[in-house]
Amino acid sequence: MDLVFFKIALALYLGASAAYLVFLLVSSESRASLGFWFAVGGFVAHTLSILHRAIFSGFFPLATAFDALSAFAWVLVGIFLLVRYHDPSPIFGSIVAPLASVLMIFGWTLAYQVKEPLIPILRSSWLPVHVMFALAGNGVFAFMAVGGLMYLFQERLIKTKRLGRLHRLLPSLATLDTINRHGLPFGFFLLTLGIITGAFWASSAWGTYWTWDPKETWSLVTWFAYAGMVHQRMVLGWCGKRAAVLAIIGFGLVMFSFVGVNALLGGHHAFQGANRFMLPSGF
Amino acid sequence: MEIMVIGLNHSTAPVEVRERITFPGDDDGAVTRMIGDVEGVEEAIVFSTCNRAEVLLTAADAGKSEERLIRSIGEIHGQDPSTFRSYLYVRHGADAVQHVFRVAASLDSMVLGEPQILGQVKEGYRRATKARTTGPILNRLMHRAFFAAKRVRTETGVGSAAVSVAYVAVELARKILGELRDQSILLVGAGEMAELAARHLNNQVDRPIVVANRTYENACILAEELHGLPVGMERLEQQLIRTDVVITSTGSCDPIIGTAMLKNVMRARRYRPIFLIDIAIPRDVDPGVNEIDSVYLYNIDDLQAVVAENVGERRKEALSGERIVSEETEKFMHWTKTLDAAPTIVALKEKLEHIRATELARLNGKFADLDHSQREALESVTRQIINKIAHDPIVFLKKTGSHGKQNVYLDTVQRIFRLNGAAENQDESEEP
Repeated sequence: MDLVFFKIALALYLGASAAYLVFLLVSSESRASLGFWFAVGGFVAHTLSILHRAIFSGFFPLATAFDALSAFAWVLVGIFLLVRYHDPSPIFGSIVAPLASVLMIFGWTLAYQVKEPLIPILRSSWLPVHVMFALAGNGVFAFMAVGGLMYLFQERLIKTKRLGRLHRLLPSLATLDTINRHGLPFGFFLLTLGIITGAFWASSAWGTYWTWDPKETWSLVTWFAYAGMVHQRMVLGWCGKRAAVLAIIGFGLVMFSFVGVNALLGGHHAFQGANRFMLPSGF
Repeated sequence: MEIMVIGLNHSTAPVEVRERITFPGDDDGAVTRMIGDVEGVEEAIVFSTCNRAEVLLTAADAGKSEERLIRSIGEIHGQDPSTFRSYLYVRHGADAVQHVFRVAASLDSMVLGEPQILGQVKEGYRRATKARTTGPILNRLMHRAFFAAKRVRTETGVGSAAVSVAYVAVELARKILGELRDQSILLVGAGEMAELAARHLNNQVDRPIVVANRTYENACILAEELHGLPVGMERLEQQLIRTDVVITSTGSCDPIIGTAMLKNVMRARRYRPIFLIDIAIPRDVDPGVNEIDSVYLYNIDDLQAVVAENVGERRKEALSGERIVSEETEKFMHWTKTLDAAPTIVALKEKLEHIRATELARLNGKFADLDHSQREALESVTRQIINKIAHDPIVFLKKTGSHGKQNVYLDTVQRIFRLNGAAENQDESEEP
C-alpha cells in the first residue's frame, strides 16, 4: 500500500519509455504523443506518491536514497514537461522517460526502507529544503548536459552535411542553446540556495556553518565553475558550442561531488550507521 | 457489381492532355452528377487535381459502361474521345481499390508523399456525397482510403523529408536558427534558384528581406519585388553582422565572402549562428568559412545531395506504405465478397439458428421431464418460428438481386442483424 502510487508512476514511465522507443525505431508521431501522455500520467502519480510518502510515512522526504532518487526522477520529468511545453521534440522524452524509470527502479530495489528511525542529524527542517534545492539544481544541470551533448551532435551533423534521421530527430540548435541559456542562471540559483541551506543545516546539526568537508569543498568548486559559466554567457556572450561543452564539463563536476566524493574521499556526508546507500545524493 | 477507376495522371498523360481533361465546373457537383447519370453507373466520384483526373465508380457491368463513360468524359470537356483515349488507364476490382488507396496515401503522386492530395481526394468525395452519387460501396471505400492514408502517414516516413532545394534550405534554417519569424535574410545577387529560395524563406519571416547587388538599381528592382530593402555591395560586411540567413548568387568569378571577412563578422556577431546558402557557380563563398565556429555553409551541390538523399528515403518509406495499402485492399475486398445475396442469406439463417439453439440449450433443465415426442414438437415449432421470420427478408433479398439498389439493402440487412463480418466492420469504420 505504501508504494501504490510509486508503482503506478513507475508503470506509466515504463509505458512512456516503450512508446518513445517505438517512436525512435519507426518515427511514428502518434507513439511519441502516446509516450508524452504516459509521462504526464506518471508525473501525476509520482507527485501523489511523494506526497503520500511524506504525509503517511512521515519520511518527509529525501532522507533516504529511495526518496532522493525518486525525487530526482520527479524533478527530471518535471523539467522535461516544462521543456516539452516550449519545444515538442519527442527526443527529450526518449531520454528522460527511461532515465526516470531506471532511477526509480534503482532506488526501489537498493534502498527502500519502510520505517527506520532517522539518525538525529537528519531530523532537521533544513534537510528537505537543502536536498530539494540541491536535487533540483542537479536536475537542471543534467538537462543542460544532455542538451549540450545533443548540441554537439547536431552541430557536427549540420557542419558535415549529414542530414539523415538523427538530424531530424534532434531539436534545432536554437532550441538546444535556449535550454542552456535559461537553464544556466536557473540551475546556478538553485545550486546557490542548496549550498546556503546546507550551511544552515550544518549550523543546526554541528554548530558551524562550514567545515571544509570534501563534499562541501567540491560543491564550492562546482559553484565557482558555474559562476564562471554564467559570467561567460552573460557578459562575454558565449553561446552555442562553447556553452554546450561547458555544460557537459560542469555536469561532470556535479556528478563528482554528487557521487564521486562519497566513494573516493569520504567525509561527514557519508552517514555511517544508516543504510550504505543512504544519500548518494550527498550534500 | 464491379468497382472501376478510369482516368489519367502525370505518368500516363503529358501536360497538354492533362490540362484539357480537368472536369471543370464541378464545384457544385454537377459534373459528378453527370457521370453518376451515365447508364449502368451505380455510384461515382470524380477526382481532379493538376496531376490527375479520374472517375471512381461502381457499375453493374463495367465492361459495357466503360465506353459510355469515355464518351461522356469527352462530352463534358467538348473533346473527341480519340484525343485522350490512349492516355487513359482503366482498373477493375481489387486493382481499382488499390489504386484509390495509393492515390489517397500519396504513393501515386508526382512528388511522393506530398500532403495535399488527401485533401483533394476528400474534396472530390464531399462533392459526390452532396450530389448523392455515392452509396454503401464507395462510402465505405472512401473511408477505408482515408484510413489507409492516415496509416501510411503515421506509420511510415513517406512525407517527412524535404524534397526540393528551397524546402531543404528552409528546414535547415529552422534546424539551425529555430523559429524563423524574427530572423533576417540577406539575398546577395540574383538568379532564379536564389530568388525561389529567398521567396520560400521570406514567407516564414516577418522582417523585410535585404537585397544586395553590385548595381544599386538592380538591387532596388528586386527588393521592390520581394518587399525588401536594397543595399549596395560595399555594405556587405555590415549587413552580414545583422543577418541570420544569407543566400548568395552573383556572377562574380572570385569569392565575395572570404574567411577573413567572415571571421571579423563572427567576432562582431559574438558567434551567433549564421547560415550561408551559396547557389552561385563559381562559388561566392570561400568553402573554408564552414570551419569557423557557428558558421554553416551549404552550396548548391550540398543542398541537391540532401534532396537526392531525401527522395531516396521517401522511396524506401513508400515500400512500407505499399504494404499497408495491400493489406487494406485485401480487407476491403474481403468485405465486398460478403456483400452478395447468397452469403448474406446463409449468414442470416445461421444467425437465427444460432439464437434458437442457444436459447433451447439454456432452458434444457426446465425441459428435463419432456418425453421424446414433446421434445420433437418443441424443436419443430421453434424452427418454424425462425423460418417464418426469415422468409420475407430472404424473398426480398433474392428479388432485389437484379435491382440497382441491392447493395444498399444487403448492407442494411447485414448491419441490422450484425451478420458475419458486418459487426466488426462497423466498429472499424469508426476509425477514420
